[in-house]
Amino acid sequence: MKILLVGGGGREHAIAQSLAGSAHCPRLYCISELINPGIRKIVKSGGGEYIRGDTNDPSAVVGASLKFGPDFVFVGPEEPNFHGIPDALEARGIPCIGASREVAELELSKASMRDLQWKYKIPGRLWYKKFKTFEEAVPYIEEYAESIALKPARQAGGKGVKVIEDFQVYLQDDKRKVKKEHAESIVNEYMKGYDDIEYRLLIEERVWGPEYTVQCFTDGRTVVPMPAVQDNKHAFDGDLGPETGGMGSISCCMNLKYGVEDERAVITEEEYRRSAEIVKMMIDAVQKETGKRYHGISAGQMMLTSVWGPTVIEMYSRLGDPEAANVLTMLKTDLVDICEAIICEDLNRVKVEFEDQAVVVKAVCPEGYPDRRDLAKGHPVALSASGNTDRILWASAEDAGNSIVTGGSRVVECIGTGDTLPEASAKAEELCRGVGLSDGWNLFHRSDIGTEKSVLRRVQLGNMAREIYQYRERRGLLGKRMIWIPGKGLMEVG
Amino acid sequence: MAGIIGIYLFDRRWNAYNFGIFGLMALQHRGQETAGMEILNESKQKITGKGLVEQAFASVSGKGNILIGGVSPYPAEEAEALPITVSNKVSASIDGRVTSIDGYRWDAGLSYEANLRRSYEELESGSEELEAIKDYFSRCRGGFSYVAANNKGEVLAGRGSLGVKPLVLGKMGFDGGIVASESCVMDIIGERVPISPAENIEPGEAMVFTPMSARSERVQNSSKRAYCIFEYVYLARPDSYINDVPVYRVRREIGRRLAQEGSVDADVVIGVPETAIPFAMSYSNETGIPVEKGFELTGRRVRSAMKPNQVERLKGVQLKLNVISEAVRGKRVVLIDDSVVRGNTLANIVYLMKEKGAKEIHVRIGSPHIVSHCPFGVEVPGEDELIGRHLKEDKIAEVIGADSFKYLSLDGLVEATGLKCGEFCTGCFNGIYPEVE
Repeated sequence: MKILLVGGGGREHAIAQSLAGSAHCPRLYCISELINPGIRKIVKSGGGEYIRGDTNDPSAVVGASLKFGPDFVFVGPEEPNFHGIPDALEARGIPCIGASREVAELELSKASMRDLQWKYKIPGRLWYKKFKTFEEAVPYIEEYAESIALKPARQAGGKGVKVIEDFQVYLQDDKRKVKKEHAESIVNEYMKGYDDIEYRLLIEERVWGPEYTVQCFTDGRTVVPMPAVQDNKHAFDGDLGPETGGMGSISCCMNLKYGVEDERAVITEEEYRRSAEIVKMMIDAVQKETGKRYHGISAGQMMLTSVWGPTVIEMYSRLGDPEAANVLTMLKTDLVDICEAIICEDLNRVKVEFEDQAVVVKAVCPEGYPDRRDLAKGHPVALSASGNTDRILWASAEDAGNSIVTGGSRVVECIGTGDTLPEASAKAEELCRGVGLSDGWNLFHRSDIGTEKSVLRRVQLGNMAREIYQYRERRGLLGKRMIWIPGKGLMEVG
Repeated sequence: MAGIIGIYLFDRRWNAYNFGIFGLMALQHRGQETAGMEILNESKQKITGKGLVEQAFASVSGKGNILIGGVSPYPAEEAEALPITVSNKVSASIDGRVTSIDGYRWDAGLSYEANLRRSYEELESGSEELEAIKDYFSRCRGGFSYVAANNKGEVLAGRGSLGVKPLVLGKMGFDGGIVASESCVMDIIGERVPISPAENIEPGEAMVFTPMSARSERVQNSSKRAYCIFEYVYLARPDSYINDVPVYRVRREIGRRLAQEGSVDADVVIGVPETAIPFAMSYSNETGIPVEKGFELTGRRVRSAMKPNQVERLKGVQLKLNVISEAVRGKRVVLIDDSVVRGNTLANIVYLMKEKGAKEIHVRIGSPHIVSHCPFGVEVPGEDELIGRHLKEDKIAEVIGADSFKYLSLDGLVEATGLKCGEFCTGCFNGIYPEVE
């Protein structure tokens, strides 16, 4: 059996490991922009080939497929989905795990996602407004917007989102100024070069609560949810610092428990079930809307909010990074069996099982990430030989022949497992310490991810959101927002 | 003492100036004589002034994404406004007192600030490197917290190893970090966090902010703690957390213990505004004696006890504390105050209250007798002025004209905090100070 993997980041390294571990003993091939040292090793040992190529170019990926003749192609990142790679492959009769262009709209356009969610009245929908130009948004920001999230209307590599709390009237002028400037930079900078979407800017209400990702396998008929994973977006310890692509993620059993034998959890089993149900509703809605089948992965980037309980923040059309490492570490079922079932649309016949364990993934980054990637790039990486290197995933790193150099983003992801999250965190921590840069440039990682203090804080945050949303639910007010505007009357949203 | 703040906004589009103003206002109770800030981006701007924050910063403005600042209770004639310019490239706001510096001989002929400057020059050659600033504060002994900044946009903010003075860390989402003397600053200018407004910075620990990182570091080893217990009695705001303990909870507990230790038959409980109000409410809850508002203020709210001279203090008290006669006429009053230093403002209050017809006045104090000085910068007058050092409770009652007078015991106060006895500096109450190595 032969499989072609598209993409060369930490997520794809996790996928490659998982596929390579299959009982089908597949020969793995890979195409990506950078040569990922970890994937390269797997590909080589199986006798496959690794080629450098533009994964967003259908002709390049189709070309590679025709050359290698894989049984199926596994698309890792979102951009190839947005560029119609799965469509191009299927047009050639090459089976593919990857959302087709039309269903990937759920991720590509944050505006379309909300439109759809509201149209189908899917729970966990936030109030939003979309704009085609900056000028359109200005009067709105000046007059109404209070605590809001400003987002590029399109998925822009996870960048450009800014959440601004604006309830302190005495600081309003400063906050509105930054809101406007950021809205402008979303339109002019973050959205620059994306011409596949009409809208530029999305403004959503700001909510609070613990965030978590529910990733699902789907063949378009059956939706199989994977364990909930929580990513940590702040660059530095203690949830401090600018937003990153994710500094590490935690998971334990299906619903983010503190430990396998522990009662404490970030979300309840019921909330997990409801979240998975929401993802299923989103998949059903997008299939109904487009008439296309969803083959691959769909994920809800969720938050347990006081307004709705489980609430959709964004949708993914692929596995998350680093969340992929969590679920694939826990996955007991053969990933190749799952892929084949997705392709044959009989996923309902596969019993997908996950290990009851705690997994903590920590990303190690060169100093400079995330805001000065130019400085973070090009440093030679040194891994101490000790430790289980299967538990270290290569991410933004390039195999430069005689050395491996940083690509400017998260360089490796270290995986720790255990019976409790703090235990798994300590294991990941150990691995992180074995990573260095041989030119003396600094690396950093989050030592707090998965520690008792950090996890219990999230459990507590969940408890607070739960108390409020359950109260609202009992009163029949779930998702309803009422605003009394003096002189105008009562406005209801929801 | 002082109130200190550091604001570090990662995104240069933010202007920290107004955040600094309102943050300092939230610390105004820690110093009302001078206020100042240094605000940095490509350039550095220092603004200081006399009086309250709104007076000190009236008709000026600043621009920059990094800011350090402070409010001070010392008159401009006696001490420099915060932040102190330590060298031409390093400034620091310091709360409390650095009492000695390893490797430096203190020159009694120089001012406090001049000693800091000279020692910095001698020990660190005036360097602005983060390592130099860290080394300097690792040599400092005493009871202090600090926020220091250099011209490279790096900030070091920490607590001395004894932890006498508080310091907390708060956040502004993905946009920045804030350090301040008290957590109430985060409520006013930080993000709305439903769990806890701020994280305690441990004694000897410091937060480091640079354009590319933010991390906690251990600057000094800290084995022995000596938290200032007076923070809980009077210094801190009731909506703050000090050493992770909510101040309001301690004040409520003080009131409850006062009721137990100094119970008396009475008709009404009245707290001396503002600090003693929670004591009185809790005393009332514990005893069932109704609590009343006994005073109305004229003019601006000031912390009269922190005024530098007696006339100013009495002026403050008399304007702040006009007795509402209807609340006290013909009644036996339990009058609760937070502390007694010289006793004359309290005598004034008792006199005013009797004049308005109070039948009996039983004074209860939410802290033990003040008998000694504070080496860490809380203004305590000379020992010959301290009424509690020289007179017994019965005598004090006679002197101030009250029917009875009682302090809270030191044990009672320590227990009210919920922390262990050995973790405090209680020097002002018993003359026992932490050893400053």
